[in-house]
Amino acid sequence: MASKINEKESVKTAGAKTGKPGKSGEPDYGAPSNFCNRELSWLLFDRRCLSEARDRQIVPLFERLKFLSITASNLDEFFMVRIASLKDQVHAGYKGVDIAGMTPEQQLQALSVKVHEFVHEQYNTYSRMLVPALGKAGLVVLQDATNLTDEQSAYLDQYFERSVYPVLTPMALDSSRPFPLVRNKTLNIGALISPKDGSEELVKKGKKKDGLEFATVQVPSVLPRIVELPRMADGRRAVILLEEVIRRYIGTLFQHYDVICTAAYRIERNADLTLDEEEAEDLLVEIQKQLKKRQWGEVIRLEVEENIDKRLLKILRKEFGTGEDDIYFAGGPLDLTFCMKLYGLDGFDEYKTPKYTPAPVPEFMNAPDVFAAIRKQNILVHHPYMSFDPVVDFVRQAAVDPDVLAIKQTLYRVSGNSPIIAALAKAADNGKQVCVLVELKARFDEENNIAWAKMLEKAGCHVIYGLLGLKVHSKITMVVRREEEGIRRYVHLGTGNYNDSTARLYTDCGLFTCDAAIGEDATAVFNMLSGYSEPDRWNKLIVAPIWMKKRFLAMIRREEEFAKAGREAFIRAKMNSLCDPVIIKALYEASHYGVKIELLVRGICCLKVGIPGISENISVRSIVGNFLEHSRIFWFHNDGDDEFYMGSADWMPRNLDKRVEIVFPVEDERLKKEVAHILNTEFEDNVKAHILQPDGSYQKIDKRGKVLVNSQEQFCVEAWARVPKLPTPLEERRFTPAEPVAEEEEP
Amino acid sequence: MAVTVFAAIDIGSYNVSIEVFELTKKSGLRSLTRVRKALELGKDTFSLKKISMERLEELTDILNDYKRIMKEFGVTAYRACAKSAFREAKNRYLAVDHIRRATGITIDVLSNSEQRFLGYKSIASRGEEFQKFIEKGTAIVDVGGGSIQISLFDNDSLVTTQNLVLGSLRVRQRLSSFERETTHYDVLVEQLFRKEISSFKRMYLKNRSIVNIILVGDYFTNLIFQNKSDLNKLETREEFMKWYDHFMKSSPADLAEELGISSDMVSVLIPMAVLYRKLIEELHVEMIWLPGIQLTDGVAYDYGEKNGIIRASHDFEKDIVMSAKNMASRYSSNKAHTEMLVMAAGKIFDVVKKSAELSPRDRLLLEVACYLHDCGKYISLVNVADCSYNIIMSTEIIGLSDRERRIIANVVKYNTAELTYYRDVAESDLLDTDDYMLVCQLVAIMRLANCLDQSYMQKMKSLSVVKKEKELILTVGSDDDYTLERGIFRENVDFFEEIFDLRPILKMKKKR
Repeated sequence: MASKINEKESVKTAGAKTGKPGKSGEPDYGAPSNFCNRELSWLLFDRRCLSEARDRQIVPLFERLKFLSITASNLDEFFMVRIASLKDQVHAGYKGVDIAGMTPEQQLQALSVKVHEFVHEQYNTYSRMLVPALGKAGLVVLQDATNLTDEQSAYLDQYFERSVYPVLTPMALDSSRPFPLVRNKTLNIGALISPKDGSEELVKKGKKKDGLEFATVQVPSVLPRIVELPRMADGRRAVILLEEVIRRYIGTLFQHYDVICTAAYRIERNADLTLDEEEAEDLLVEIQKQLKKRQWGEVIRLEVEENIDKRLLKILRKEFGTGEDDIYFAGGPLDLTFCMKLYGLDGFDEYKTPKYTPAPVPEFMNAPDVFAAIRKQNILVHHPYMSFDPVVDFVRQAAVDPDVLAIKQTLYRVSGNSPIIAALAKAADNGKQVCVLVELKARFDEENNIAWAKMLEKAGCHVIYGLLGLKVHSKITMVVRREEEGIRRYVHLGTGNYNDSTARLYTDCGLFTCDAAIGEDATAVFNMLSGYSEPDRWNKLIVAPIWMKKRFLAMIRREEEFAKAGREAFIRAKMNSLCDPVIIKALYEASHYGVKIELLVRGICCLKVGIPGISENISVRSIVGNFLEHSRIFWFHNDGDDEFYMGSADWMPRNLDKRVEIVFPVEDERLKKEVAHILNTEFEDNVKAHILQPDGSYQKIDKRGKVLVNSQEQFCVEAWARVPKLPTPLEERRFTPAEPVAEEEEP
Repeated sequence: MAVTVFAAIDIGSYNVSIEVFELTKKSGLRSLTRVRKALELGKDTFSLKKISMERLEELTDILNDYKRIMKEFGVTAYRACAKSAFREAKNRYLAVDHIRRATGITIDVLSNSEQRFLGYKSIASRGEEFQKFIEKGTAIVDVGGGSIQISLFDNDSLVTTQNLVLGSLRVRQRLSSFERETTHYDVLVEQLFRKEISSFKRMYLKNRSIVNIILVGDYFTNLIFQNKSDLNKLETREEFMKWYDHFMKSSPADLAEELGISSDMVSVLIPMAVLYRKLIEELHVEMIWLPGIQLTDGVAYDYGEKNGIIRASHDFEKDIVMSAKNMASRYSSNKAHTEMLVMAAGKIFDVVKKSAELSPRDRLLLEVACYLHDCGKYISLVNVADCSYNIIMSTEIIGLSDRERRIIANVVKYNTAELTYYRDVAESDLLDTDDYMLVCQLVAIMRLANCLDQSYMQKMKSLSVVKKEKELILTVGSDDDYTLERGIFRENVDFFEEIFDLRPILKMKKKR
């Protein structure tokens, strides 16, 4: 209840116009000027990704392509969700302000300016930096299909005829054929066409004043966006984009017309699902219905080529109802996510970071099975530096272990061909009690998760579709095993999804334990998720939405009390995003009283540093590296009795108030040292870290004269250094003397 | 190591809960999980007097889910207990049958005394902590949805136990139609409790000092204290009052938020909080113990004890006997005669038990029957049998089931009334054939033992009982004139022989 009251207060103070001290003489921590708008802060994160794409000093060329692609896909999602949500608020006439004191309309205006600048910078990066550099590296990205070699032309003629043409569906518009449904995020080519002389019939049918008709053709997503051509005359490899191939042959699609002009265009629609969970009889069916509706969502953004014909643009604007601010002119190919495909081209290894193979986890290496290893000690795993295999093996072995009674797991996002799902299905087949919570509301994974849920149900698992009004974001697996000493529960708790693919790219931590208190809590979590009552108390786990925020606030205040008492007090925390106003206020207050707060926030950070009397003791850094920083780790000094926690929750209202999240303690002294080492190394990173400045910008550290510390690279080295060396064949060859033959006694 | 995984299911007035335990000789009880699901069965029973089909279906779903939980932990034994919501429902037998067919789970509808005894066992499962606490005057207050049980302990012994039909859900139901007419709902509740508590105080607390109170038995007991303290904690009276003030000043919405429950449920908590305060004030309690346990703990403990997995640190049978003794004294029984009867009946029982296949529990029933054998005289000297029967049937004896109480009442009744054949007895006394046979056996023993002190003069100074072939030889040591006893003994011999196939022979031995 306390948290709710505080939140109400914070909303009130956030709405106040000034940050003058309150009656008690304390600073007004909640003044809007003390906060950054979360959307603008997000944009700064994407800008940090873009800066990696622009960093020719440190980042290999093809890795830069990857970063550029990431900025593009990030931006797509940002439009479909965040901008869409702001637009919804504006349409609904909502005039309330966010923590930074901005109305939805003001936010949209500010964002429009910043995003247009950002897109401009993306295309600058692509056209002026990357394409020329690629050319020098031996890869020519052809801008269009006009200057091809004969060999290339012949190749394209054949490719178009055999592979592309059969899958194209050109559509022209007239009174009997209305504007077709243009699907979200698809790439299309719009054209103005004019009936050829002599085709009177057609003229009659679709006649317009100027005799021009609109036609469109979708660039088929079933074909690769990049088409590799025969080499250039100088021997360099060459690629061209699929839309350019189609454009070259577009005349063949409209045979009785002249094509006057063409332009590629792309739209993003509002992809927010509006679920009335209270009314939904079957959540799965309701989500399926809503997913279909996503294709008809409001158009939030229209991307067009820079040099689009004005008449063509007018038609598109009218059809999609797009405002001027929502049109983005691209100074290059639309949808830069294709850069990831460029990255994926064979060869060019010298321009890529060598692929990292995760190291095996030593604790599991010589154990007879995962359970024996966990019984021996609690085990901390740090992905992707360490292999994700133990997590998969945990479920796999449980599925076939005759002593295992039950397996329970939460699934938020899983990989396409998930070995975990297969193991769960096998477990059910083997007669285990398998209970899986599949979060159907995981954004953009809804369809995928519906398919998994159905498949698991069919296999005999008890599938729960999440909780009413809450997303289940926690990552927990429990195996119940009958052993000689009684029932023992093995638990894996993680900061990342049970996704073996992303586990190679995201930095996450996990803990394997058979601690009875955590086992009891884990059972309680699953009971709660199954719709039963929550327990009277939690032994060790901190669970959102009811208990987590209170606990974090209490721990922040505890540090504040130590600081007030003149004792050393500090908080080190790492998360993806920080935007909960109540938590930020508590951090400001703690900082005011002298608590040293060091934060690693990869993405959104609504907290401002360096505000006199408020956040002078707070520093924020963001690491954007080869791997996506994803773990959430919290370290409270607690007057020397340091406490470490990890979990699935960011310090965001959505995580703390609207999701089921779990944060777990790391209690073994051995593991505490490991976690401290992780955080300390990341705070020492001066290669990939960006430091938040008092003006809200981020700057990289001046590396001159410093020993370079790239935390991600260091963890890779350390993970392999921990792996015990296997004996070489020579070492294995041991001389074993034969049994001495007993000498026969002399007669 | 032998490990038993046991599930205890508690079907209450507003909750259905399951707790899975691991029982081992080495470490006793270990709770593996505890789950609750809200289901207001009491709402039906307390207003409609029956459980609706709709709620029964909900209960079926819940129990089917619980079956899955049992499977997840490899449960090998379970006991599902239902309380007042079932007990008071007219359709309880149909409901039990419905659930058995739909889920395979057999529900045991507990009598109030059984229920309270299990609740009480759950506290006793705390071992030494409990023993130490009850050395001083202690009240165990067990608040359920349907009623409240107050048990008083003094000097390590149970003094009395009383049931007040004022459970939290029942009070809410009772006040629901006019609660809107007042802004002081708590005052309304207090007024409802006042009469009952003062009667209780007048009758049982005249010369007793109660310094401790143990609050148990209900999920809400744990719930309302969850934010205030850890479970299993001692509280002073001042601490409690401070909490009470906070509780009563908070709005239902705030309390719902604080405790993580629905506002509707908060209205069930208020009567409970008022009752606690009232009791603590009226009894002048100093310390409050919240052991943080529930009925399921008692059910598991009981199972462990009965199956030789757990050895009880507290003698529960002693409490049952003590209750019977206190009841006998309340109805002015002749103490000396009763003690002699208990002794003699016990000796006869011990000799015949093997051949008659009687259990230690049957011996306890006989002992209780002996203590209460003439309680009806308090009402009428003419109609002792019926009066005794009625007194026993309307009084709670903690630890006894309804069935056991009925057996005792019949034994006492037929100690003096003529014992007819099964058909006649069963019709009026709801006994099945097994129970009828037990009643006959215990009556035969009691009658024989009773006539050894027929004059109420304790002429018998010693007694030995031995079995010799087809005879049961009772050797009485006495120097007094034993003519009356001999005569009455002869009148009872045939009946005893008919039941046990043993001819009782009375032999005398001079003491001097």
